[in-house]
Amino acid sequence: MTEARIIEQVLALIAAEDASEAAFNRLALDLFAYQFENNIPYRRFATGRAKTVRTVKDWRDIPAVPISAFKDLTLSCRPPEDAVRVFMTSGTTQGGVRGKSHHPTLAVYDASMIRNFGQRVMQGRDRIRMGILFPTEDAMPNSSLAHYLALAVETFGADGSHYLLDESGLDSARLFAELARAEATGEPYGLLGASYSFVHLLDDMQRQGRTAALPDGSLIMDTGGFKGQSRELEAEDFYHLLSSRLGVPKRRCINMYGMTELSTQFYDWGNDTSPSVKSGPHWIRSRVVNPLTGDDVPRGAVGVLAHCDLAHFNVVSTILTEDAGIEVEGGFVLLGRADGAEAKGCSMAVEEFLKAAQG
Amino acid sequence: MIAVDERAGYLPGLTTDEVAWRTLTFRRANRTLDVAVPVLSDAQIDQVTKRVRDASRAYLKTLTVAQIIAIIERAIARLLDRDDPWRRKMEDLLPLVTGYDSEMVRLGLTGYLKTFRGPELRKFVAEDFANPQILDDFQPMPKGGFAKAFGPDLLVHIWAGNVPGLPLWSLISGLLVKAGNIGKVSSAEPLFAGWFAELLAEIEPRLADCVAVLWWKGGDQAPERALFNRADVVLAYGGNDALEEIRGRVPVTARYLPFGHKIGVGMVARAALDTQKAWAVAHRAAYDIARYDQQGCYSPQAFFVERGAGISPREFAGYVAHELACFEQKFPRRDLSLDEAGSVAAFRHGEEMKATSQPGRELMGDEAGAWSVAFVEDADDFAPSGLNRTVRIYAVDRLDDAVARIAPFKPFLQTVGIAAAPDELHRLGALLGAAGVTRICAIGAMSAPEAGWHHDGRFNLLDLITMTEIDSSAETAADGFARYVD
Repeated sequence: MTEARIIEQVLALIAAEDASEAAFNRLALDLFAYQFENNIPYRRFATGRAKTVRTVKDWRDIPAVPISAFKDLTLSCRPPEDAVRVFMTSGTTQGGVRGKSHHPTLAVYDASMIRNFGQRVMQGRDRIRMGILFPTEDAMPNSSLAHYLALAVETFGADGSHYLLDESGLDSARLFAELARAEATGEPYGLLGASYSFVHLLDDMQRQGRTAALPDGSLIMDTGGFKGQSRELEAEDFYHLLSSRLGVPKRRCINMYGMTELSTQFYDWGNDTSPSVKSGPHWIRSRVVNPLTGDDVPRGAVGVLAHCDLAHFNVVSTILTEDAGIEVEGGFVLLGRADGAEAKGCSMAVEEFLKAAQG
Repeated sequence: MIAVDERAGYLPGLTTDEVAWRTLTFRRANRTLDVAVPVLSDAQIDQVTKRVRDASRAYLKTLTVAQIIAIIERAIARLLDRDDPWRRKMEDLLPLVTGYDSEMVRLGLTGYLKTFRGPELRKFVAEDFANPQILDDFQPMPKGGFAKAFGPDLLVHIWAGNVPGLPLWSLISGLLVKAGNIGKVSSAEPLFAGWFAELLAEIEPRLADCVAVLWWKGGDQAPERALFNRADVVLAYGGNDALEEIRGRVPVTARYLPFGHKIGVGMVARAALDTQKAWAVAHRAAYDIARYDQQGCYSPQAFFVERGAGISPREFAGYVAHELACFEQKFPRRDLSLDEAGSVAAFRHGEEMKATSQPGRELMGDEAGAWSVAFVEDADDFAPSGLNRTVRIYAVDRLDDAVARIAPFKPFLQTVGIAAAPDELHRLGALLGAAGVTRICAIGAMSAPEAGWHHDGRFNLLDLITMTEIDSSAETAADGFARYVD
């Protein structure tokens, strides 16, 4: 199948109302065949696991690429130089080596983001005035989150939407002016960005003794969590603080879970209760698996998440994450990372070694 | 489900009722064990600290080393007796708590406890003191004058990890120098140290107040500060981050002895790689890998194998893989937490990926992930494995190349297991010592250090003591004040 045909089918599925198991499976297998044929390192990986187009009959059998492989291999169906955009991970682990996702077009990524964001974040509203707690796409051309947020502003941002972060950090003056403006005009306001930037925002507000009561319809969307940041907050405390300082109900504080290694994001339906339940749209499906065998764990047991994202057409559809999770009604609950960072004995473990080796 | 309840810790002067307890639950297959761990208030910690310090001054310091050895010897004899109730309890519960195969725990305990029998303890002391009586009385010094070695009044131990019995090393070292000992057990194995303290008190009731075994959540600052402020010496096991934090809380007037996480490797010379000898070496290598699932600081995480012998490095890797498969039948690896499984998965996936893109790399392993051998023909990388029976086997032209490969990681090196002819052993030993390796042993003995070994190259007992010297000037001056002075 040609790339054009694959793109056409994926876009059609994204545009569809829903996807039956059969429809999802059909496209997943077509996409596997396409990626098996055109993505040479992936073919070697799959063949090494004795998985070929002939033996894979179900999307659950598609060999999941461990996300660490994105650092070692160039996983792209089209020659990498054809990419209009390369998204890279932050490189905070593995000695600064960054995982890459090549995109020969952003049409599919954008369609996936827009459809999903419209349903899960906007929830029927067309546009909202946005303040973005993240650098611009120009400042971070390899950040998928920068592109995602730029797309949010472009597609769903009302006039006057703006960035609140620059090289010098959070623009508190602008932020407080915007909060006051929203309170005065009653125009809903959306704050979107990285979780740790919200922590800085909360700290700033506390330092200056400020609170706000944003008008009805306002929303907050954070992503990324706090790993490796100077301060960590429990989710429950975090959303309680956000809600009480900004006057946005917790059910309108939405957490997005996304990865550079995917073209589709997951959201919760607000954070009234912690931990929240995450789910994705009909073109991505997730499993909770034993990281060693790749088999599904019994329902309700803890495992790591594997995702099959049909929108990630040029790279690989199916990845094995290092995120621990548990399957629940309506989606999954994220439980942090399962990366072996906590050694049990007194033997040196990889994480500690890398950290020490990096000085 | 069968539920068993145990209380961890040993708290002289405090009754069960006056202490708050927290429950740690251990589950394996069809058994659940609820272990209650003590949570002491600051005032209680203070009370215990004072009691242990006073008892060490009033009683322990009046004993001779020989008397202390005799007491420990009796305790160890009890634990070596498989019919003894304490021993039975250990054999029953330690596999449940740590997850290690019960036969592995049983054999491990016996081998380990043997290194603390009377004669071994005398070696322990002799290793550090040319004249062990210096721990009992002032002894004449070659330079003139007299000296006596005093152990700390209060030695605080921060134990870590899940290797059964690990706390014995430092606890017995502390007792041998007549220290009052307070240890903090780890949540991964909270029982052994408390049992040993109880057994000691059973054997010699006057020792009852000389040891305390506590628990608190790792990194909890309040109890650490309370204890450290009264400690003469603080000895801690753990990762460098944790050790660094502890260092920040130890007063500058106390001595701090940190034991960080280490990495061990094995080296196999051509002389050991003929068709007759290679299998036996591979068997012993696999034993070192399987024993306590590489959780010890001495456990091997990589082997370097010389090219050019009858058995190639690749063949040797295959032998090790086969032997690990056999050990999995005999001593199955314990169940892993998701975090540990993630670490093994990361190792396997990483090697799998490299094998698809780099010729000369290969990953061997069983489907369930119970063991993994990554063979590396050409690359010059070196890194820890994923632990829990995962290992890299590197081919090298000469073992000298392996020394150069590990030398950059000096702060983390400890044990190297060697299979080589005598002249080669000594030649490599000199190179390895210069590179920072502190223990060289036979492959197959990596996880069983000798009695009195120098842990991380340090002195078990000397590092704990302070010397009090009576200068010859004092002697000469004293003569002037004698009743019989002319």
